[in-house]
Amino acid sequence: MRQGGSATLRRGPAVPDAIGLLARLALGGVLLVAGLLKVASPAQSALAVRAYRLLPYDAAGYLGYALPIVEIVLALLLLGGLLTRGAAIGGGVLMLAFEIGIISAWARGLSIDCGCFGGGGTIAASQTHYLEEVLRDAGLLLCAAWLTVRPRTAYSLDQRLFG
Amino acid sequence: MRPDASARIKAAAPQQGPSKTVIGAIVAAVVIIGVVVAVIIGSTGGGGGGAGATASGNAVPVGATGPGGGIVANPGKSRAGAPTLELYEDFQCPVCGAFERAMGSQVTRLAQAGDVRLVIHMMSFLDANLHNDSSVRAAAASACAADQGRFLPFHAAVYAGQPTTEGEGYTDAKLRSFAQQAGITGDALAQWSACYAGGKHIKYAQAVETAAEKAGVFQTPTIKVNGKELALKDLTPAYLADQVKAATK
Repeated sequence: MRQGGSATLRRGPAVPDAIGLLARLALGGVLLVAGLLKVASPAQSALAVRAYRLLPYDAAGYLGYALPIVEIVLALLLLGGLLTRGAAIGGGVLMLAFEIGIISAWARGLSIDCGCFGGGGTIAASQTHYLEEVLRDAGLLLCAAWLTVRPRTAYSLDQRLFG
Repeated sequence: MRPDASARIKAAAPQQGPSKTVIGAIVAAVVIIGVVVAVIIGSTGGGGGGAGATASGNAVPVGATGPGGGIVANPGKSRAGAPTLELYEDFQCPVCGAFERAMGSQVTRLAQAGDVRLVIHMMSFLDANLHNDSSVRAAAASACAADQGRFLPFHAAVYAGQPTTEGEGYTDAKLRSFAQQAGITGDALAQWSACYAGGKHIKYAQAVETAAEKAGVFQTPTIKVNGKELALKDLTPAYLADQVKAATK
């Protein structure tokens, strides 16, 4: 019974639903671009993960190969608003892992490109963008947190399929 | 009666269409299959990293310090107490080309005089970035030159002939012309060609890349004196000379 809900819909989405929609599009959009830019270059993606020097050689390689696929699937779920809470938790876990990786590389004095959108590996110390990378992922982590707490969003497949 | 019945059914089972569990299971299956396929494609060398180069055997070239080790560019020349000067380079790396133009002759002099034991690791990770296999083929070609005792001249010829546009790469004919410029002629050239065309040292070149990454080298050129990395921004001929002198016992 959603009399209230349908009345709201006719006036346009409620503000929290609209915020959720924006969070979905931001997190999903960034994940989609990041995944697509890396998926055709698995060797480069593996190198980018290895350059963090946090995981054993082989494990880092497998993570590098797998990451673009996971990013693309989560992105499609978020953009469509399907299984929003689960996808947001997945996206949030990724962002948390990226934050740990970037901050630890920064703290250890490595000069690497985050490899977030392809590329990656060692770069000149003057070319690092750790602060921007950390802030961007923190913003996306906030989006994931919002959607985890309140997965109901405007124009979502979840709402269409499950009410 | 029908509308009432359907309304009751809807109330009892509000999830018409597919249930969340079913969709969740499908998504999970897609992720698992996708990840497995990606790991298999990645592990078998798809998408760069010398995918196109044919490899045969895993012969270690003359002068290599081991499988995956660099090549000693001045075998038997270094004096007792001379430090080891290690270069990690990629034949497609423009900064390596700039390094060779600026310091190559000094490095060669140090090596020929026996002031250092010069070990060169030819990496090939730029193949993945540039979507070709020129780095790994050129590295294997340089290993074939090492078999003919002409590693350093070949190395110099490649950097002298490095394309001005990064990513243009090296054709087989180009690499053969570098071998000739390096003074490999006659029977030696025939042996070099057989070695190169047979992909004799492709696996060695890939092993060098892996070993370098395991040693934490993700950038070229990386220059080490007795294992200590020299910062590129400090690098001048005078600085290199000082570092070598300081490391000499």
